[in-house]
Amino acid sequence: MTTSVDPTIMEWLKTEVVPEGLEFKPLRENRVLVRVKLEDVAKLAERFVKKLGARLSHETGVDREQSGFDIVYVYDFSNVKNLVLILEASVDRDNPIIPSVGKVTWQAVWAEREIKEFLGINVEGMPDPRHQFLPYEWPKNPETGLPSDLSLYTPATTGIIPTSANWKPIGIDPTTARSSLLPIGPYHPGVIEGQTVYVRVDGEHVIDADIKTGYHHRGIHRLIERRGYNKGVFVAERVCGICSAAHGLAYVTCAENLYDAEVPERAQYIRTLLVELNRVQSHILWIGVAADLIGWKTGFMITWGLRERVMDIIEAITGNRVNYGIWRLGGVSRDVSQELAMKARQTIPGLKEALTQLIPAVVDHPVVKARVVGVGPLTFAQAFDGGAVGPVARASNWKIDTRRDNPPHAMYDPRKISWEIVVDDHCDMLGRTLVRAKETFVSIGIVDQCLAYLEKTTGEIREKPQTIEPGSEAVGLNEAPRGELFYYMRAGGTDVADYMMPEGKHNVQGSNLLQAVRIRTPSYRNNAIIPQMLIGSALADVPIVMGSTDQCLACTDRVEVINDKTEESHTLTWEELVRMSQKRWRS
Amino acid sequence: MAPARIKILKEVLAHYSSPMTLNYPSSVDPNKKYSTIPEGLRGVPERDQEKCIGCEACARVCSGMATKIFDDEAEAKRLVQIFLFRCTFCQHCADECPTEAIKMSKKFEVATGNRTDPANYVDTTLDLLRCGNCGHTFYPRKYVDKANELLMQKINPLVKDVVETDFKKVQDYCPSCRRAFAYKFDTHTKKHVWLEGQ
Amino acid sequence: MVDVLFTAVTMLIMVPVALFAGILYVFLFRKLSARFQWRVGPIVRMYKDLAPLLGTSRILQPLYDILKLFGKDTPVPDISRKTIFVASPYLAFLCAFLAIFFIPFPGVPLLSTMEDSLVIASYLLIGAVMFTILGAASSGSPWGAIGARRDVEIFLIYEVGFVVALFSVGLVARSLSLWEIATRPGLPMLILNPFAAVLLFLVILGKLAIKPLDMAEAEAEIVAGPFTEYGGKHLALFQLMKAFLFYDMIALFITLFLGSALSSILWLPAYIIAVIVLLFFITVIQVLHPRFQIAKGMSWYGRWVLVFGLLTAIMVLVLRFYWVV
Repeated sequence: MTTSVDPTIMEWLKTEVVPEGLEFKPLRENRVLVRVKLEDVAKLAERFVKKLGARLSHETGVDREQSGFDIVYVYDFSNVKNLVLILEASVDRDNPIIPSVGKVTWQAVWAEREIKEFLGINVEGMPDPRHQFLPYEWPKNPETGLPSDLSLYTPATTGIIPTSANWKPIGIDPTTARSSLLPIGPYHPGVIEGQTVYVRVDGEHVIDADIKTGYHHRGIHRLIERRGYNKGVFVAERVCGICSAAHGLAYVTCAENLYDAEVPERAQYIRTLLVELNRVQSHILWIGVAADLIGWKTGFMITWGLRERVMDIIEAITGNRVNYGIWRLGGVSRDVSQELAMKARQTIPGLKEALTQLIPAVVDHPVVKARVVGVGPLTFAQAFDGGAVGPVARASNWKIDTRRDNPPHAMYDPRKISWEIVVDDHCDMLGRTLVRAKETFVSIGIVDQCLAYLEKTTGEIREKPQTIEPGSEAVGLNEAPRGELFYYMRAGGTDVADYMMPEGKHNVQGSNLLQAVRIRTPSYRNNAIIPQMLIGSALADVPIVMGSTDQCLACTDRVEVINDKTEESHTLTWEELVRMSQKRWRS
Repeated sequence: MAPARIKILKEVLAHYSSPMTLNYPSSVDPNKKYSTIPEGLRGVPERDQEKCIGCEACARVCSGMATKIFDDEAEAKRLVQIFLFRCTFCQHCADECPTEAIKMSKKFEVATGNRTDPANYVDTTLDLLRCGNCGHTFYPRKYVDKANELLMQKINPLVKDVVETDFKKVQDYCPSCRRAFAYKFDTHTKKHVWLEGQ
Repeated sequence: MVDVLFTAVTMLIMVPVALFAGILYVFLFRKLSARFQWRVGPIVRMYKDLAPLLGTSRILQPLYDILKLFGKDTPVPDISRKTIFVASPYLAFLCAFLAIFFIPFPGVPLLSTMEDSLVIASYLLIGAVMFTILGAASSGSPWGAIGARRDVEIFLIYEVGFVVALFSVGLVARSLSLWEIATRPGLPMLILNPFAAVLLFLVILGKLAIKPLDMAEAEAEIVAGPFTEYGGKHLALFQLMKAFLFYDMIALFITLFLGSALSSILWLPAYIIAVIVLLFFITVIQVLHPRFQIAKGMSWYGRWVLVFGLLTAIMVLVLRFYWVV
């Protein structure tokens, strides 16, 4: 947990990888922080991704008030050596412009759109300059109600060609919308999340596609920053309902990397147990949802019926089905007693047998195969360039798994728990289905081993956390059921904002509030390559391709009431929505 | 073609007479024999009125900002209140309570259409001590007693007598008055207590 | 004169009977599918503690759902062709409704003694689907357009089978009047020409949009297909049309293929058993299959219809010319 970086890797960094670095600082585990000048960033990206074969985990920015912005790039070198590189560059406040890394690799495009929208930093040369969450027509001229000059909804910006594949963003001109442009969303019975996929169809054939996320901003970053480390873990758990355990583990991994943490072994086993149970129920849920998207309601019902048995085990262990609430810095809060572990372990063989009968019966059904084989193809090169993570990448014959490359603070040591990474080479929807089906069984094996350990031993489950140095940074990575989950944290000074602290003097005690937390979910990366998968497929395949990435976005969006005749639109505020709902309920 | 369909048919007929969906509300009634509520379910937090000492720990660690402390100066009462509309049943308060006064019950049906229903609040009222000198309220009596008890348990036996007598002098005064009268009561920090063989 | 009066009275009584039968079939279909999906499904007998509030039985639940729709807002899109859009649900419902009078109930001829009642019934059943497609195409929404197109593509395949099945029975019975086919003595058609029975069963699957052939109404892809823009009383009329269509198709099957069994003294048990068996098979096929894509669906369906159509035709030739019954 507290091992520092191998000195040979530091040498290699300084001489071959980043000789332009101004400051090298090894952080905990295998993370190294390197500060560079802003101009070198694009050149370094080219070198890392194209020549050395690294992956960009995320690119984000931290607002340092009067001191400007810090742009943070996190590269994962685990293909090459055991290293996670955090590159930082500063931009001053008055004219923040950064060179685009999205020009070099598609993996950074959505991250840069988000930086531009959240922090207002201009990114020069980005291949896709449109808004990420806000509507394309924003901002509107308040008098005329039409898109103003500042909005990106102009024909001039729609002829842009990015560097990845042959895909370009298509314009959403309303006069051509009715001819053959279908909006799947923002409210569609086939897709739960609040996003829109525009497909241009010719009969039943899709010739072009584009994806636009809705306004998913729930203020999670701000809530966590306001509540501090101990209370923030509960907010982080509620980012996603299906993979809440993965978020909890990534959060505590990141926070524990801010100080010298020692997590007791029993706590590590309990953490692994819960994360793997979470993975089992998430994959069974996905198989049901995929069956529903191809129109097989029965497959949906019977797989979810089996998922209930997994939820019963989770509820008996943690007290709740969805939000486990046991994640604490330095361990877990609830112990699994030996009788409970024994009782849970006795249900595993029955569960395994039921799953062994059900899942192959669902996946090998001839009509299911007819709907799934050859649909949504994604070659290895496309997956690598586009930055796919999780089962989507593993189904394209790319063997990545955060549990092996950068393990979180749980028990994934291959000497103590035996597990394997499931890789498939079908490169299409069938591959993704098979990867998830097999991963379910691997996870049940891990659960069994954890329960075997827990029922035989006792021990400590929690270590008291120590003080956190102000200004320290950490990156926490975890393998959620959907892919690699990324957390970045920077510890704050005292409760007073950073810019009011005199230079060089910090409160010796440390503080309990974060300066910045940044979360990047795996669906964020997989969604960016959905349009590439959709081109060339049939219209009937669009929902299943979208579902094959197992997208998990916030199911929230804003309500906009549009009057077609007078061409005016109006977004409902919170009070109006509450009043409207209460009126309908009472009448 | 047919074997796959036969397999699915067998799966489908497996639960024909014992469906997975249960009757509500009889299946969650904890008094019934086949209730589906497990032990350790995190329901509504319930506070033992006797054990609570009013130390504010639960209000500090509440992750949903649901637990709040309201002090009434005139009546000298402290109200520790959990507002169930904001409670997320995360059990953080029950974990951190020093006297283990909070337990998560198995009650989970708390939805109501009435915002002012008193059942939406979990209240505990405690008496506050009034300062003998300035008359302001400061801590609850139970909190002071508990602090004294913990102090006496863990204190270094060499200084125990001195601390005990000092505590008896100041326990009825609020922290500001204690500081103001430190020299008058001879409880100031410059009073050296030499420890033999330290 | 007495004849006319008798026919009028029986027609009047037939309306609630057919409605109740159609609703019952929908209820049984939902209940059986739920049981196959490990669920409880709509309740036949209400629980004791809720009975005073909700009544003792919910068998008429599908009817209550339709009646609820009558009380909702009925939107009509601005960009639709309003006359056709508004007229289509009424016309579709009328076709399905009138068809119940041309299909005889065991022992009661209604209007099926007319010489061409088989042809008239088949036209009315075709008309019900055609007006749905017309309404969908006139709604102006892309979902309606795609739903209408898929409906037409499936329709082309099952109509061929429909015509072959119906006229195969007509040719062997040497009559186009459903009453004469129903009261024909001798072996029931099910035994004489089982291929026609299977063919008509396949047609029922397509007409009632049973998976794997419900591409027209695929919710995951095209919202609700032909019914996307309909709401309120128009949607209620379409649901009523579906309930009556359910009754029509099952009654037609039983009349054509089990006719002689229904003239005997055991007509009621035979009818009930036939209904239950048909519903069971329809539900099992719905439960076991996901939905096909339209191209693969058409080719799969077309193959089955072609094979059984040829077998039916060969059997008809055999029955007419070699083994005359």
